Amino acid sequence: MKMRKKPGGVLGIVAVTAAVALSLSGCRGDSGGQGGGSASSPGITDSAITLGITTPLSGATAGPGKCTVAGVSAYFGAANAAGGVKFGDGKTRTVNIKSYDDAYDPQKSLANFQQMVSDNVFAATAGLGTPTNRAFRDAAISQKVPQVLVMTGDPLFSDRKQSPWQLGFVPVYQNEGAAFGKLLAKSGAQHKVAILSQNDDYGKGYVSGFKEAIQGASNISVVGEQTYEATDTSVDAQLTQLASSGADVFFNAMSITPLTIASLQKAQQIGWKPSWFLPSNTSSPTAILEPGGASAYPGIYSVSFAKAPQSPAFAKDPDVVKFLDELKKYGNYPDMPAFPHCMWSYMVGATLEKAFQNMKEPTRDSFMTALRDIKDLKAPLMLEGTSVNTTVDGQPAVSSVVVQKYNGKGYATAENFG
Amino acid sequence: MNAVAATARRPWVRIVFAAVVAVVLIVAPLALPAFANQTLVRIGVYAVAVLGLNIVMGYTGQVNLGQIFFVGLGAYVTAYGVNHGWNILLVFAAACAVAGVVGLLVALAAARLGGLAIAMVTIALPIVGVPLAKRLSEFTGGSQGISARFTDAPDWSGLDNDQWQFYIVLLVAAAAFLLARSLVRGKYGRAFAAVRENEAVAASMGISPYRTKVLAFTIASIFGGASGFLYLAAVQYTSPETLSFGHSISLLAAMVIGGAGSIAGSLLGGAYYVFVPQLTNAIDPNLTTISQGAILLAVLFLLPGGLVSLPRVVRRLARRTDAARGRSTGRSTAAPPAQTSEQNAPAHHPVPDSALDGHEQTERQDGP
Repeated sequence: MKMRKKPGGVLGIVAVTAAVALSLSGCRGDSGGQGGGSASSPGITDSAITLGITTPLSGATAGPGKCTVAGVSAYFGAANAAGGVKFGDGKTRTVNIKSYDDAYDPQKSLANFQQMVSDNVFAATAGLGTPTNRAFRDAAISQKVPQVLVMTGDPLFSDRKQSPWQLGFVPVYQNEGAAFGKLLAKSGAQHKVAILSQNDDYGKGYVSGFKEAIQGASNISVVGEQTYEATDTSVDAQLTQLASSGADVFFNAMSITPLTIASLQKAQQIGWKPSWFLPSNTSSPTAILEPGGASAYPGIYSVSFAKAPQSPAFAKDPDVVKFLDELKKYGNYPDMPAFPHCMWSYMVGATLEKAFQNMKEPTRDSFMTALRDIKDLKAPLMLEGTSVNTTVDGQPAVSSVVVQKYNGKGYATAENFG
Repeated sequence: MNAVAATARRPWVRIVFAAVVAVVLIVAPLALPAFANQTLVRIGVYAVAVLGLNIVMGYTGQVNLGQIFFVGLGAYVTAYGVNHGWNILLVFAAACAVAGVVGLLVALAAARLGGLAIAMVTIALPIVGVPLAKRLSEFTGGSQGISARFTDAPDWSGLDNDQWQFYIVLLVAAAAFLLARSLVRGKYGRAFAAVRENEAVAASMGISPYRTKVLAFTIASIFGGASGFLYLAAVQYTSPETLSFGHSISLLAAMVIGGAGSIAGSLLGGAYYVFVPQLTNAIDPNLTTISQGAILLAVLFLLPGGLVSLPRVVRRLARRTDAARGRSTGRSTAAPPAQTSEQNAPAHHPVPDSALDGHEQTERQDGP
């Protein structure tokens, strides 16, 4: 046992050396300074600006997470190659992107944010995930670091009073539900609607948006409403109940892929064939509608604001061709994008560029002012009828979506219901 | 080297040394940049969680895959208490107590089962915990999570938030480590070791394996709850993602890498849990999983006893070179037997006290 006592000595020396080194290690506070007065904010020089993205690059949500980095990198990679972005103060800067993996873990995203501050990042952007973005929201506010155009449908990020340094990018759940509700209300014909929703803020958001939109429309009546839990493995009982209500429209706010396929199949088995509404993230033609046998129904509706590069209709679209080329060249993403987040974050790039062009001073304050003053920007890849509009309190940068109808292969914009 | 070791063993040296370390820990946050403090704070958070895990797994030998559940529970209780304006000491007590009571209830049932069955029961905790946290939205804020700020530095202190948080975490973590150190060195520590080695032998010595296991599990849960309190002090936000099962496995890996059955190893484990994602992010954010796996394998191959065994391994290598030199000059040496006896020692053998003092604080310094 005596032999074991030795490390005390060795480690003692190490510890004392470390202690001395520590106490000599100078003063604090050079990094992440708050740059008082009119001096430029951290992360921006006369020739470059650095943006940070914390997003899941590993784990279950790595697919969409990688897309969030790839899209922004593709956009600014091309812009840098063309000489850089001309800012509102007259200087041309290159835009550098630093990405950080948070594995969808809130604790890690906060750590990444702290790292960004010490790495002198000008603003955090495009990160995916509600909990991961919420985890550093408070810190971003107290350090006055912009956390903008983030990929979450959580309305908190678009509330100016509560989130002065934040702005969401993608439509909130309510926007999607409301878009379908409006289309239905203006159809003029009598419709009976059955609603099935996930029992959390996701499902509730869709349903509240939908109900607000059909309020006062005498031709629409909700005849049945059911919920399920995100952990449920079957919704057969709810479907049978809803089928017996005789509804001809089925509003299904469901976020789980296998359940959506199973409900498409089950409703057919019990002979209930309404028109369907499905959220944008569970309406993939190849992954959900085909295995679910969706062509048996009179119509499957969903919403979108981005051109889908997979769709034959957009295969020769100049935006799409340019986007796919840049994604390959600068985004380190050689495949056909499997997630809409690639397109969304490309639009984030365009929105940021617009804000950069309008910011008068190289400060975060000036950036936020410029960012909140973008109206009717038609970012590349946006569908006809949608635009970026950052001037409305309580709404994310993109709140307009287009209802689309499944045509057996892909989606086409639906002007009218039916 | 012997002379140094002998000096280090003298009581007054150790007291002075402890005082120096304490002063450094108190002064360090004033001198370090904010990011270093924030990193040290997170290390403290996870070191306490790993410490709890070490008590039940490293010292008592019961597989626990649910430690993150107690961290999350402590975090939720803290968030609830803070948002309802409870006194902060009450919040801390509640975070520990609720986690402890739940841990006790689980342990009462789980400890009746042997070996792998306990592991199965503990797997269930985070798996049940995530949907539960989503559903009980009036307490937990549902899947959007819940924020609670209570660690902003008060004006009178003149400190920055990160410094204030550092002191809170330092206070709780230091208390936790001192308590754990006393626990595993006293009669309960010996009971834990007896149960780990052989339950029948433990019973024959008058130690109830069942009670010992329940005790270890409950203590681990209380440490988990305290870690959850610190989590909220540092992150100020919790959501169902906090207690996802994968993090439990990461905690387990951190414990093994730090050194199972070692107090100092828990601190190293906490440092590993925090540093490795930062390191792999710096290497290439797209390859974090692969590089983390590579680091894990490398550590386990080179240091099967965990990082805490590094000085021992270095010493062994040094002695081997000494021995080789001794042999070449024709002198006999006593080193080889000592060397083999150490190799045969169980990897999770608790590190004796003199090693601890030095070690524990050394790693704190290594932090930033």
